[in-house]
Amino acid sequence: MAKVVERREMTAVEKIYLVEAARGLYITMKHFLRGFFHAEKLPTVSYPELKVAIPRDYRAQHRLMKRPDGSPRCVACSMCATACPSRCITVEAAPSADGEIEKRAGSFRIDTLRCVYCGLCVEACPVDAIRMDTEKVAFTGDAREKFVRTLDDLMDWDPKDYPGDEQSQKAPGGTLNEEARRTWEKGTGH
Amino acid sequence: MNAVSWALTLGKFVFVFVPLAMIVFMIVMERKGASLIQDRFGPNRTDLPIFGGLRFFGLIQNFADGIKLFTKELVVPKFVHKGYYTIASMIPFAVAIIIPGLLPWFAPIAFEDGGQVFNIPGEIVSADGGLLIVFALSGLAVYGTVLGGWASNNKYSILGGLRATSMMISYEVSMGLSVMGLFLLAGSLRLPDIVAWQSQHVWGVLVQPVAFIIYVVSLIAETGRAPFDMAEAEPEIVGHHLEYSGMRFGLFYMGEYVHIVVNSLLIATLFLGGYDIPVLHTAGLQAHLGAVAAVILAVCGLSAFGLMAMMIRWIRIYRTSGASDVVNRSREYGFMSVCLAVAGVICLAAAAVCAVCLHPEGVMIGGQLVYPLWTSLITALVQFGVLFVKALLFCWLWVWVRWSLPRFRYDQVMSLGWKVFLNLALANLLITAVVAKIVEGN
Repeated sequence: MAKVVERREMTAVEKIYLVEAARGLYITMKHFLRGFFHAEKLPTVSYPELKVAIPRDYRAQHRLMKRPDGSPRCVACSMCATACPSRCITVEAAPSADGEIEKRAGSFRIDTLRCVYCGLCVEACPVDAIRMDTEKVAFTGDAREKFVRTLDDLMDWDPKDYPGDEQSQKAPGGTLNEEARRTWEKGTGH
Repeated sequence: MNAVSWALTLGKFVFVFVPLAMIVFMIVMERKGASLIQDRFGPNRTDLPIFGGLRFFGLIQNFADGIKLFTKELVVPKFVHKGYYTIASMIPFAVAIIIPGLLPWFAPIAFEDGGQVFNIPGEIVSADGGLLIVFALSGLAVYGTVLGGWASNNKYSILGGLRATSMMISYEVSMGLSVMGLFLLAGSLRLPDIVAWQSQHVWGVLVQPVAFIIYVVSLIAETGRAPFDMAEAEPEIVGHHLEYSGMRFGLFYMGEYVHIVVNSLLIATLFLGGYDIPVLHTAGLQAHLGAVAAVILAVCGLSAFGLMAMMIRWIRIYRTSGASDVVNRSREYGFMSVCLAVAGVICLAAAAVCAVCLHPEGVMIGGQLVYPLWTSLITALVQFGVLFVKALLFCWLWVWVRWSLPRFRYDQVMSLGWKVFLNLALANLLITAVVAKIVEGN
């Protein structure tokens, strides 16, 4: 059913226009003076220098988690590639050197131009190997190939950028790495 | 005519370039005004690579834009009429820089040389036609728009040109009629006479408030800026400069700003007493020149310190924000703060010197109080400054209105012009005539 919009008749003061125009000018003047004397109160953020805080569960660029010895945590089960609605993930398996685990990722490529950043790969992963918590939202390249991220690109991150995250700290260079490496070696019998 | 009066008469031509020089500051005012009204920062990227990047509040962006416009290819579409197309972009700009020649920039300079008194008028061209010539010239400016629209051979451009024409016709009438009341009171069309009448009686805005409003709105309409920018209404038709590129477009763009400055100067001259300072006037200004100069310099110095305080406060807050360019910004603001502090100290010192040392002594020659030449020159400078500040207020009004009020529909513009403003202007003229007859007697 069509909604009937009631058109209110303008009052005499509104019809003169000048009064209403003056009210409009008053409002814009308030904004101008606020910006002029208190620029820090402006909602605009000077982007490359200052960045808005990105929420913890924001789906940004991907990364692959690392084991304490620095090898990829990925077991090449291809669950992420199966779950991916835009089919941007290609995983090729390779035999794992570890006796306990059958496969590892030989190559892992994400075509970020096709990716829709839905996060289904993260949810599908059974071993928490792929994550989208890098907070990197801007990346550039001058050729299509540059946007295909390889296994090395995806593993190229620093535990120092994830200070609060326990799993990231277990990777080489992290604060929990020593302890995790000992546990890991004990568990696998090396 | 002796050598000094020749030098002064020729030197006055510098004032023609005042609106041209103002373009740079108008563009900054427009950009910063627009951005702050819209809660943005405005241009703050282009910088000079010294002292961590000097940006001068977006002033440097203008020069980048200028270089871009000058070096850009002038694309001339195949279907345009080349001659008119080229001339059209020059007309508004050319017309707008002729008008300042008719404005009185200061009270006539009187000085004595070898027992003879010379009077140098404050306007470059003393024309009895005065404001009529100004109206004629500013009416010509629309030819640029119309010719540009016509010569572009493009239906949207011609629509823009036609809209500009009809609006010019509608608003020129009420604009001319609104100031008729002022002519009646002043009894002259010459702009110096109107300013002199205002300094003897009261400012035009107080005796002719209705005319003032009509005149300001009509001038905004005549400049073709929002809320009356029918000729280049971007969402409807791009307008008369659709087919222009490079510096030809730049001429239209700069012509608009020159027009604003010239119109602001006109309003200040006609309704705000021009170069006149109320209460003091020219005689008082010359007698108390030291005190006035001291006050002006002190205000300048204190504003410099105020601006410095604002900068220091801002950089302190910015340092805590954790931005990546804190070092560069600190250096930039530090440099500018030092400059402002030096300027402020110099201004305050000069104010003190003026207050103590500047006491001009006039001599009566042939019934006229004549001061030394340097006194008259400083007086002229102060009066020019006064006119300039008054005009700046209206320049800001143009920017303010543009970024506040939505565009009128074409029929609304027409009905406002013909049904409201024309009648108001006529009624105002009639009432002014009757009251003037009763009060003044003849």
